[in-house]
Amino acid sequence: MTVRQRLAGLSERMQNGVRQTALPAVLLGSFLAGPAMAATGERTQITGEVMDTWCYFSGVMGGQEAVVGSSHHTCAMWCAAGGIPVGVLADDGTVYMVLKLEGKTTADGDPALLSIQSDRITADGFVYERDGFKYLVVEKVVSNEGITNLNHNDFGFIPPFAVPEGDR
Amino acid sequence: MRALVKRFAPVRAVLASAVLAAAMTVAPAAFAEGAAESQAKSWGLLGEEMTRFSGKVVDILCELTGDCADNCGNGSRHLGLLREDGRLVPVYKNNQTSFNGAVADLLPLCGQTIEVDGLLVGEDVPAKFLQVQLIKPEGASEFYKANGWTEAWKRRFPEQAEGKGPWFRRDPRILEQIKEKGYLGLGPEADRPVIAEWY
Repeated sequence: MTVRQRLAGLSERMQNGVRQTALPAVLLGSFLAGPAMAATGERTQITGEVMDTWCYFSGVMGGQEAVVGSSHHTCAMWCAAGGIPVGVLADDGTVYMVLKLEGKTTADGDPALLSIQSDRITADGFVYERDGFKYLVVEKVVSNEGITNLNHNDFGFIPPFAVPEGDR
Repeated sequence: MRALVKRFAPVRAVLASAVLAAAMTVAPAAFAEGAAESQAKSWGLLGEEMTRFSGKVVDILCELTGDCADNCGNGSRHLGLLREDGRLVPVYKNNQTSFNGAVADLLPLCGQTIEVDGLLVGEDVPAKFLQVQLIKPEGASEFYKANGWTEAWKRRFPEQAEGKGPWFRRDPRILEQIKEKGYLGLGPEADRPVIAEWY
């Protein structure tokens, strides 16, 4: 048997061996692992305002400058409690949809999520991009400056019914 | 005057051709897929486009990261629609008008391929999210309205379920925050002069 034939035989045995080992592993993996499109996020820190994505993008309550900050704080809590995605509006204007906040997922209006609405935070976590959207998994809120956009001086309360008649 | 109009006739023709060409170029992009079949109602939203399409209901976090949970997280995770071509469309909003997300409507259909009808929303954005108005599960013959949020909220907060007024005036999570931080989020005392000025 020549060296070439021996190598060919070795290669065939290795390939068969890998196939026999790999096939169950792939099958097992396909049951255990997440979706095929799952990707590694980019570790980063984002600084910006925790905000209400629905009012911001839909225009339903008016211009974007009015549906952030203190003027829109109550409405932002309503939307977060309603299970509408919360975003972080970064200084460069990018909005990141927050999927997870310090270990908790964000669709059920957890009080911790409500408590930081309209706050300017720096979040350490992972960014994932898919089909035009940017998603953020916040590992830790490393700083929170509170509400710094005091736009109620310009807009009052947005929407005006944020304050019920009994409290006016 | 007539001479003037005649003089500018070639310019008008060029302009008309340009407008027509632009319209022919832009028109297909101005209508989302399924717009012709869609029965979605306009909400007057920024960049809204009627749409109807099929997709599998998925947990977005799971889809992106592999961090998955049973039954799409049982209502704690944001859901989206994974289209046949691999595009992932997040669903931000259901058909109700009181600040209601879409998770309660999509959760019972986790993992199923469904047909949705609604509005793609957003202007000057890389991609638009979905406001779902109608849902048709696989094998169903009819669409139904995506109005499931309120019943889910009542199940979660049974003590508040029968109270007066809209849910957001009674939700204990919101009331607690307003009690502590006021309507502006700056403390109750900060509200008083602003309320006096604006009401």
